[in-house]
Formats: sequence, C-alpha cells, structure tokens
Amino acid sequence: MELRVEGLARRFDQVNAVAGIDLTVKGGEIVGLLGPNGAGKTTTLRMIAGILPPSAGRVFLGELDVWARPIEAKPRIGFLSGDTQLYQRLTPREVLFYFGRLYSMAEDRLTRRVALLIEQLEIGSFADRLCGALSSGQRQRTNIARAFLHEPDLLILDEPTSALDVVSGSFIVEAIRRERAAGRGILFSTHVMGEAEYLCDRICLLHEGRIVDAGRLEELLARSGCRNLTDAFLSRVGRSPGGTAS
Amino acid sequence: MRFSLVWTIFRKEIAETLRDRRTLIMMIGLPVVLYPLVVLGGTGLAETQATQIEARVSTVAVWGALPPELAAALGAEAAKLKLVEWTGAPAELRSDLETGRIAAPPLPPRDPPAAVPPGGTPDPSPPAPAPAPTAPPAAPPDPLADAARAVVSSREVDAVLVTWSALGPDLAGDRLGRLAIYYDSVRPDSSQARGRLRAELDDFRTALVTRREQEHALPPGFARGLDVASTDVAPPQRKAGHVFGVGISFLLILMSLMGGFYPSIDFTAGEKERGTMQTLLCAPLSAAEIICGKFLAVWSICLITGLANVASLAATFSRIVPAGARDMLRLEPSAYAITFLLFLPVSFITSAAFLAVGAFAKDFKDGQNLVTPVYMLFALPIGLTMLPGMELTPATSFAPVLNLALLIKALLVGEARLETAFLTLVSSFAYGALAILAAAQVFAREQVLLGGRESLRTTLGLERRPGGRPGPTFAFVFFSVMLAGLFYGSLWAEGRGVLGALLLVQYGLILTPTLGAVLGFGFPFAETFALRRPPARGLAAAALIGVSAWAAASPLVRLLPPPESLVKAMEKSLALGGEAPLWVLWLVVGLTPGLCEEALFRGLLLSGFRRLGKWPAILVTAGCFAVYHTSVYRLLPTFVLGALLGWLVWRTGSLACSVLAHALNNALIATLVRWEPAAQAMGGSGGVPLSWSVAGLVGVIAGVWLLRETPGAEGRGGDADPQGGSGGPGRANAG
Repeated sequence: MELRVEGLARRFDQVNAVAGIDLTVKGGEIVGLLGPNGAGKTTTLRMIAGILPPSAGRVFLGELDVWARPIEAKPRIGFLSGDTQLYQRLTPREVLFYFGRLYSMAEDRLTRRVALLIEQLEIGSFADRLCGALSSGQRQRTNIARAFLHEPDLLILDEPTSALDVVSGSFIVEAIRRERAAGRGILFSTHVMGEAEYLCDRICLLHEGRIVDAGRLEELLARSGCRNLTDAFLSRVGRSPGGTAS
Repeated sequence: MRFSLVWTIFRKEIAETLRDRRTLIMMIGLPVVLYPLVVLGGTGLAETQATQIEARVSTVAVWGALPPELAAALGAEAAKLKLVEWTGAPAELRSDLETGRIAAPPLPPRDPPAAVPPGGTPDPSPPAPAPAPTAPPAAPPDPLADAARAVVSSREVDAVLVTWSALGPDLAGDRLGRLAIYYDSVRPDSSQARGRLRAELDDFRTALVTRREQEHALPPGFARGLDVASTDVAPPQRKAGHVFGVGISFLLILMSLMGGFYPSIDFTAGEKERGTMQTLLCAPLSAAEIICGKFLAVWSICLITGLANVASLAATFSRIVPAGARDMLRLEPSAYAITFLLFLPVSFITSAAFLAVGAFAKDFKDGQNLVTPVYMLFALPIGLTMLPGMELTPATSFAPVLNLALLIKALLVGEARLETAFLTLVSSFAYGALAILAAAQVFAREQVLLGGRESLRTTLGLERRPGGRPGPTFAFVFFSVMLAGLFYGSLWAEGRGVLGALLLVQYGLILTPTLGAVLGFGFPFAETFALRRPPARGLAAAALIGVSAWAAASPLVRLLPPPESLVKAMEKSLALGGEAPLWVLWLVVGLTPGLCEEALFRGLLLSGFRRLGKWPAILVTAGCFAVYHTSVYRLLPTFVLGALLGWLVWRTGSLACSVLAHALNNALIATLVRWEPAAQAMGGSGGVPLSWSVAGLVGVIAGVWLLRETPGAEGRGGDADPQGGSGGPGRANAG
C-alpha cells in the first residue's frame, strides 16, 4: 500500500515547521528522511502518523485519507520514535497485549503475534519484568514489537536508533530489513547519514521544513558531485563540506 | 464509541494504579488507619481528660464569710469541693470586703409587667419611642474581678466564691442572699468547679425556699412560681445523622476525593511526562474513547477510596468508638449506604473536573499546580455545610458539590425534600457531563496532549466559527450554563413581581443570551432558528397540538401529583396574580415563552443536537426542555410537549410552528386557570377531567396525522444529511 503525501505543512505560531512536503513511499521500500535537528522531520512524521494535525496538505494511504478517516487509517500505520516510552508499571508482554487490543486484534492472532515478536526480538528474558526496570535497549526492543505488532502496511520510524548502543541498534536495523522483505513501506528519519546510506532505498533531504533533494543515494551523489551523503546534504543547503558557506 | 476499547483502557489504568504503592496507600491504607486513629485518639483523649477532671477535687477560694449551714453543704464529701479561705485575695481587697466597702453590685432592673387596665384589654396607647442608640459606656474598673482573674489564671485555685458581708444576716432575715462565682471558662477544671458550686448552691436554695414556705405557711411552689421542663424530641438517629451529616461527611468526601486526585494527574500529565501519550495517540482511538476509559478508571478509584472510607468509618463507629460517644455516633447501615450512593455523583463531577484540568498540564508537577486549586474549589463549599443554617434549598441545590453534601446532610437528618433532591441530582449530572465534555474536548486537541499550549477558548472548541453550525457539545455546554444562570437569575428576578420576573427571565435571560450566542459565534441565523415560511398544514397541526397537548399529557401528572403549594404557585404565576387583562396574559404567558423558549430549545439546541440524528436530537432537546422547568412533577408532561414541539420543527422545517403550538398551549392553560368554571373542574381531586384528556389525545392524534401528511423538510430528505448541511430543522420549506 502506497503512502502519498501532498503539500503537507505545519505552522506553530509564526514559525513554518514544515512548509509543504510531497513524497511517496511504496510497499517494500525504505525511504529515509534526512535532516539536521529542527529540520521538521518529527513534525512531518507525526502528521503522517495521524498524531499532529497539519495546517495544510493531505496524507493518503492507498486511497485512504489519514486525516479524514483516522480510525480506519491508523491500524495500517506503525509508529516508533527514539523517545517513545513504555508504561512503567506494565510488563512488555502486558504492553503488547494492551496495544493489540487497542488495535482490535483478535485474541488468538494477538497471542501468536506476541509470541513471535518476543522470540524474534529476543524479549523473552525480560517479557514479564516491569518496563520501569528495563534498560533503554530492552525498552526500545519492546517498542519495536509494539509498533510492528498489528502488521501495519506502513512503518514510520522517527530516529529509532538514537541513544542506543551498537547491539541494540542492530536489532532495529535487522527488524527494519525483515519488515521491508515482508513488503511493508518504511519511512525512516535520521540525522545519522551513514545509517541512511546503507539502509534506505530512496532518500529525501529535509532542510527548514522543505525537501531540498530526493532520490536514490547514487542520484543524490551524482547531482551534488560529492562522494558521500553528508557532503551532498551540506552542498544542497548552501554549505561547503568544510563547513564554510559556499 | 467502542466500549471494548474503553474497557481495555480502563483495565490498563486500574492495573497500573494498583501497582503504585503511593496511590494504594491514599486509596485504602490511609482511610483504614485514619478513622480508628482519629476517633480512638480524639474520643479516648477527650474521655481520659473528662475522667481526670471529674475525679479531681475542685479548689475554691472563699472570699468572705460563709454561714455555717452553707459551708457544711459546700464542704460535703460528695460535692468534691475543697474550700480555702481568702486564698489569693490581696490584703486591701480582703479588708474592703470584710468592712463592706466593696458591696454586691445592684441587681439588674426587672421589666415591669405589661399594664392591664381593669377592662382586661392591653393599653392601646402607642409605646414610647425607643431612645436613640448610644455607644455603651466604658466598664468601670473592677478590682474584685481583676484579683479573681489573677488567682484563677495562676491555677492556684479553680474558682473564687465571693460572699458579701451581709450574706449571713440576709439569709437569717428571709431576704435575698447574694454570692458571686469567678471562674475561667477556657479552663475545663475551672468550669467544672463552677458547675459543682452551682449544683450545690441550687440545692441549698431549693432547701432554703422550701423551709421559708413552710415557716410562712405558704403553699409549696409559692416562691418558685413556674416549673418548666424541656424535652429533646430528636431521636438518637437524627442526632447521630446531624453529627455525621455535618462533620463526618465533610471529612469523608475530602478523603475520598484525594483518592482520585493523583490518578487524574497521573493518567494525563503523568502520561505526557513519561512520553507514553504519543504512543496512545498512534492507536486508532477517538478522544471520547480515551477520555471515557481514563475517566472510568479515575471515578472507580475515587469510589474505591470512598468505599474504603465509609467501611472504615462504619467499623470504627460500631466497634471502636468509646462507650460515651457511641449513642451520639450510632447510625443505621442505610445511612452509610446513602452517603456512599451520594458519593457517586460527587465523585462523578470531581473526577471529570480533575481529568479535564489535568489534561492541560505539561507534567506531573504542573498537574499538581493546576488540580490543587480545583480540589480546594470543591473542598471549601463542602466545608460550608458545617455552618449553622446552611441547608439544601432551591438556591443551594444548584451549587456544584455543595448541593450534594447538603443533600447527604438532609437525608441523614430526615429533612430531604423530593423537589430539591431532584434539582440537586439534575444539576450535578449536568455539571459532571460538562466536565467530561471539557475533558474529551481537551483530549481531542493533540496540541495540548503533546505538551503545547492553546487558549482555553480554542481548546474547548468555543472559538468563533463564522458560517459554522452549532454542534452537540456546544448545545450541551450552552444549555448547562444557561440552566445555572437561569436558576440564579430567576431567584434574583423574583422580587420584581410575577409579570416583571417573567418578562425579565424570558427576554433577558433566555432570548438575549440565545441570540447573543448565535451572533457571537457566527452561526447562520436563519438556519439555526429555522426561520422558514411554515406550510399551512404544519400551522394547522401546530394549532391542534397547541390546544390539545396539555390535556392529553395531563394523566402523566397523576403519576406523580405535585403538592398543593406548588399547584397554587403555578396557578398564580399563570394568571399573573389575577389582575392583568386577558390580552396581557396571552402576550406574556402565551406568546413570550413561545418565542423565547422556542428560540432556545427548538432553535439553537435542536440545531446543535441535530448531528445526533432525528430522534436522539428531538428527545435530547425535549429532555433539556423538561429539565429546564426545574420540577420533578412537571418532568414527564413537559418532556412529552417538548418532543411534540421538536418533531413539529423537524417535520416542517419552521420554528413558527412550534412557537404557535407553544403559545397556544400556554395561553389556553392560563385562560382556563382564570375562568372560574374550568378552574373548578380542574381543581377537584382528580385534576383535569378524563373526558378532557381523551379529547386532548384525539386532538394530538389529529395534529400528528396532519403533520405526517405535510410535505415538510423531512419528507424532502432532511434525514439524508446527518451533518446538517441541508436537512433537519434548518431546511427550507416552500410547501
């Protein structure tokens, strides 16, 4: 199922956080949204996920208008951000069952999915401990399971590896690849250029609320004449790779 | 609303709460420990002190000479008085008392009996004018009181008994003997000494009077003259109910509200602070489902706390209370049940209010800062129940939470009245629903939930929307605010006579705010008020329903007959005191409510509730119309009339039809009340005669039939657009 974003914008008081974004994500494709802090990545993803209402523009999942029919659209979206937290006084297993029921999953399907995700993401050793007692890596693995639980058509991942060590980060990267193989569309934001280079099929460079360039990695590099994504990004926003204005 | 999701949220919140030790301690631990501790500690301490004071012998300084027989009476062992002569008396004072330089103050003048002339009738001459008030003269220095105060305050003695120098000769000479007791009312042992002295002196006086009567051959009781016995007829249950209703219910409600205080912040601001709110908003849930689940959890926790409080209190009073206080605090189980049942609406309102306010907060600390004033706002009015004379009246029955606390008090002392209880419950439900709507509105604003700030007006959806339509939330909020305003406004207008009050309420308190709201919020005027040319058949149906609905609905009055006083007040109001000409009656009692009330109910409110669908909109509006009449006895008839008027407007698309029917209904009843033969026919014990009711029913059926045959707004697809874009009461009708 294809995600189509048309003219998405969001204004906070006098600031245009997002100033008109168009993009698409097809099934089985990972699209990276790259930009520095404050570029508008989180705001964009929240609007696409149906959490933050846009000031203008529309979001379609297939033919479904996310903001016109949110109750129908949200079960098709899985959202995960780096700062998403869990209920401190519930266990990971309880969290998964809670959200499965909120997504109106049938009990037998939910039980099977919880068991599968606990095994795939190696949650079993802490599945029945309170979330308040888990490490940040364990919490994020539980969060991935929560976001993937209802088998959404589109996964929206907002800097999911931020503040994680290499081992915990690798769990997420593996999970993302597995979901792409299953045919799910993935919209992935990061400010770590290297992560985008080896993970994304297409990349959108976001700066001050606008997409300044988009395409496959090799296309971006060819257009900018740079050898890596960081330099390509800097050149697109008017800064030389060395840090001085061009 | 998917109740399975509400239930899922509710279960999760309860599970999390039950794993939080802080909340558990507040919910159950505190009440279980608090009441026994307070009661045991309080009554035990009081009892111990009382026992100690009772056992202690009072030391009384006697300044002056006591006649031997009086000294013997006061010095008896049973009197528990130890008399010490001249203790603490300054030498100069003692000398003055012994020599008589300080004598007994003059007796206060007695009121002379009313002059009765020989003919037996009182003097008709007017009483002399009272002297102009002047400032009281400054009290002269009293060395005796100063000296007594010093010796009692130093606790050297408990009281001072002064006997004037002439006491012995006066008693021996059959004259008035005079003594004075000086004591400190703040010191319990001083008051005890005074009590013991008074008791012994009273006994001595009785014996003295009896002896004098015998010596002078006077009949017994000659000197005493009159014996007055007072008996407290309040049963023990009532006394206990008074104590419970006034004091304990205050403590109980405060404690129980505390149970909902932390969860309401935790479920809203706490969830934002912990970063879990965003996850919840990702799920396919409506704001109403989230708020309902959370509200039910907060309410349940409040109720569990309330139950723990009531149970602990009942156990304390029945098992632990010391014997001395048991009679005062003995209550039937039904009293506890009543208290708990009334705690349901109290906690309903407060839980919703806590949740609505908590949702505004950024984090837990912010939540505490915002919710604490709300808690105080509820706590202070409950404290007012302890003021003497504070009772459940029509005026207090609309004061949120205070009304319920007063209803608890009234029920426990057996003084609750159906009418004020009804008003209390209706207004409490309205306030609670308002608070829940506000909370749901806040939850629908993702900006607020994600930690941003918006203006209160924007958050509550009350911003100006030119060209927009009123929705159910707006209609309900407007009605609830109007209801409270109307109630207090009509109390204020009461002093302006029946005519003035009616006009003021109708035009000033109903029509003006209604028009102001529609203009102020920018709603389309003609569509909101269904200002369309009515079809001829619709007008005919309205006329038929208008003249017959009251008679058709009259059997409903017999289900719950109003008290005679209410009937008389209604008749007086309908007849405008019986002095106005008939045409004024028709204009003021008929046309005025027809215009003003219809603009509010079948205009703004029906337009607002339209999104609920045809019958829910008509019935909810009729419910508001019934509640607006603020009388449990008129609830059913006014509901039926409201439903008929709503259907008239929905069917014809024109407010003119309901205005006509309403005006005819009121004018006809007012005319009949004025018309002696009709008033007599309706004044019997059976109320409106059955034949009239049957005729009325036929008239209503004929009107309904006529209306069904009318090609009105509904017939042209008014129901087809539940959003209200072109259908419903606002629909144009050329037919």
